[in-house]
Amino acid sequence: MTQAQQLHFALRNFKRLDHAASSKSREDVELSHEFYPPVLSGRSLDGGDHPVYRHIALLYLRLCAQHQRHCSPLSLAYWTHRLAFRIRRGRCRLHPRLLRPQLFFIAPRFTFNVSHWQDWIVLFVLLLESSAISYWVNHAQTSLDEARARERETTHLYELSISLAGLRSEEDIAFAIAEHLKDIFEADAVEVLTFTAPHRTIKTYRIPKGDAATAAQPSHSVQLITPRGQLGEIRLWQWGSPFQPKDDQLFNAFASISALAVERVTLAQAEARGKILEESDRLKSALLSSVSHELRTPLATIKAASTGLRSGEVEWGASASQELIAAIDEETDQLNRLVGNLLDMSRIESGALKPNKQWDTLSDIVSSVLSHNRRTLENHQLDVDVSDDLPLVAVDHSQIDQVVTNLLSTSVKYAPRGTTIRIHARPNVDFTMMNVQLSNEGPHVPDEHLTHSFDKFYRVTAADRVTGTGLGLSICKGIVEAHGGRIWAQNLPKGFAFNFTLPLMWEGARPKIANSEQHMADSG
Amino acid sequence: MSTNPHILVIDDESQILRALKTILTEKKFRVTTASTGEEGLTLAAAVQPDAIILDLGLPDMDGLTVCERLREWTQTPIIVLSARDQEHDKVLALDRGADDYLTKPFGIQELLARVRVAMRHLTQTHGSKEMVIVAGKVKIDLTRHRATREEVEVKLTATEFKLLAHLASNSGRVLTHRSILTHVWGEPEADNIEYLRVSMRQLRKKLEDDPAQPQFLLTEPGVGCRFMSEEN
Repeated sequence: MTQAQQLHFALRNFKRLDHAASSKSREDVELSHEFYPPVLSGRSLDGGDHPVYRHIALLYLRLCAQHQRHCSPLSLAYWTHRLAFRIRRGRCRLHPRLLRPQLFFIAPRFTFNVSHWQDWIVLFVLLLESSAISYWVNHAQTSLDEARARERETTHLYELSISLAGLRSEEDIAFAIAEHLKDIFEADAVEVLTFTAPHRTIKTYRIPKGDAATAAQPSHSVQLITPRGQLGEIRLWQWGSPFQPKDDQLFNAFASISALAVERVTLAQAEARGKILEESDRLKSALLSSVSHELRTPLATIKAASTGLRSGEVEWGASASQELIAAIDEETDQLNRLVGNLLDMSRIESGALKPNKQWDTLSDIVSSVLSHNRRTLENHQLDVDVSDDLPLVAVDHSQIDQVVTNLLSTSVKYAPRGTTIRIHARPNVDFTMMNVQLSNEGPHVPDEHLTHSFDKFYRVTAADRVTGTGLGLSICKGIVEAHGGRIWAQNLPKGFAFNFTLPLMWEGARPKIANSEQHMADSG
Repeated sequence: MSTNPHILVIDDESQILRALKTILTEKKFRVTTASTGEEGLTLAAAVQPDAIILDLGLPDMDGLTVCERLREWTQTPIIVLSARDQEHDKVLALDRGADDYLTKPFGIQELLARVRVAMRHLTQTHGSKEMVIVAGKVKIDLTRHRATREEVEVKLTATEFKLLAHLASNSGRVLTHRSILTHVWGEPEADNIEYLRVSMRQLRKKLEDDPAQPQFLLTEPGVGCRFMSEEN
């Protein structure tokens, strides 16, 4: 017989066997012995025949048959747990349920009488068993609950971590923290404070916005601390249910994660600042080396010429001394231009380049530039097409003067001797901007370098050791853009051109030309 | 003039004082120097110069204040010297009574030209004014209120002539936008630089050979206008 078959036989003959056991009829007992494995026959360890064991065994058997699975103490416990009883302190109350085992398992069945003294033991053992089992089950349930609670906590922390991982700005992080906290603790208000470098200013992020909920003292607060110091604080307003110790724990865990996130943002900001400083340092040293070279060149000429004229050793002829003097004059102009460039550059850098705008005539500005740069332009032809009929432009004249001067001097450097440099200006189609072009017959610049022409110190090739600080074009860009215009370079079929635009409107209006003409007509 | 003109130079830079003193003395001027505003004011009262060259970047006082204080009691021509970034101060000084300006670094020729122009106008206010001003092909007759170009009368509006006359009677000197607008259009229009631009454009068109390259109707960007007659 397989075990399953045995079990099945046992179940069917439950009553008969049981009766046999209780009646102690020899025959029945023998029958039972035959078909049951020794344990199930209730044989005790000492070999005696004990009905107590038999009862337990039968009960166990029944369970197996019913549940058809490998019987574990837990499944037995599960079943007897339903027969739970409560032992009051000091007293043992006989609850009817207590007697259920008696009712069902102990002969005589279906009565509450306990006939044999052994049956009392059986009852007692059953009670012990069920109490033990219910305790274990309770314990297991509690452990399960705790495990679930921890799992929820961990999930919250994990979700917070994940949501913070992708955020980059301090504001986003603070609001994410506040939202999570508000949800999890069902708070009335949450406030996250951060102490941001470099000035240790305190920034407050509040959910919900507004001061109403946060007027009073917070119910809970925790500092955000990392090895770098205190980075902030979280304040919670929640008057509903007080915090349990595990809530406190969760709150602190949140605080640690938040502190790390805030620290991450702080460090990222510091890194960005460091990069900017590095770049700025690089530019500064490039500027210094460029400037010192550019300043020294004219100074050297001036020094040579003036000391030469001073020295009594040589009798200077009229033309020779005139030449030296002319050199001093020209180099002084060059130095002046250089200083102008440096001043403009520093103003652009510090953002102090605010154009002092006035309605101006472009042709006046261009004439002024040309008259001041006669010597620079002496080796080239000039073609100026800037009509004085053009609309007035809203510009800071000295800054635009600088732009035209710089563009001219750059053009002169690259345009071959004797070739034409052309300046022309036209308003655009809808009369919002003036388009100005300075073109020359110089060489093309490779397309990929065109946009970089206006970077500081940009040279197309390393061999481009032309004079100049390398700042001229970037100053032009700074000035034109401060006016609201655009500047760009382009290759022409037979040369190269600089283009820039200037505003024809100022604060949304055009100059009061109409009025002035009316005025003039009236008084004419 | 019986004696050489006396020039007072007020500048805190000793190098500039030295250079100017040397050059001006060579050109037959008498030169007195001062290195602070207070010293300058005291000396101006003491020596009564024929012209004053005033640097705007003085250590003890604002150059503008010196200008104002001088104008309280004297009409002596004042030429202000300004650095590249003192655009705004230049214009203010001119509005407060300075006659002309120079931006450092300047050439001596320019300085001398402006000093001479300023002194000439001073004598003119004391003596008789020029009634006919000539500039190239253009003649401006202030008494008859007409302008001619190559002897042909040029039709100008009343405003245009007023502007032309104002510039021409101050020929050689710079006039700020504000002072021109106030004189020609009246105080309320003192900020409407557009009117001035348009009128200047019209005048150039009618009188200049090449309006884009004016010979006598000059604009000094950011400051004002200047009429350069034959004498300048």
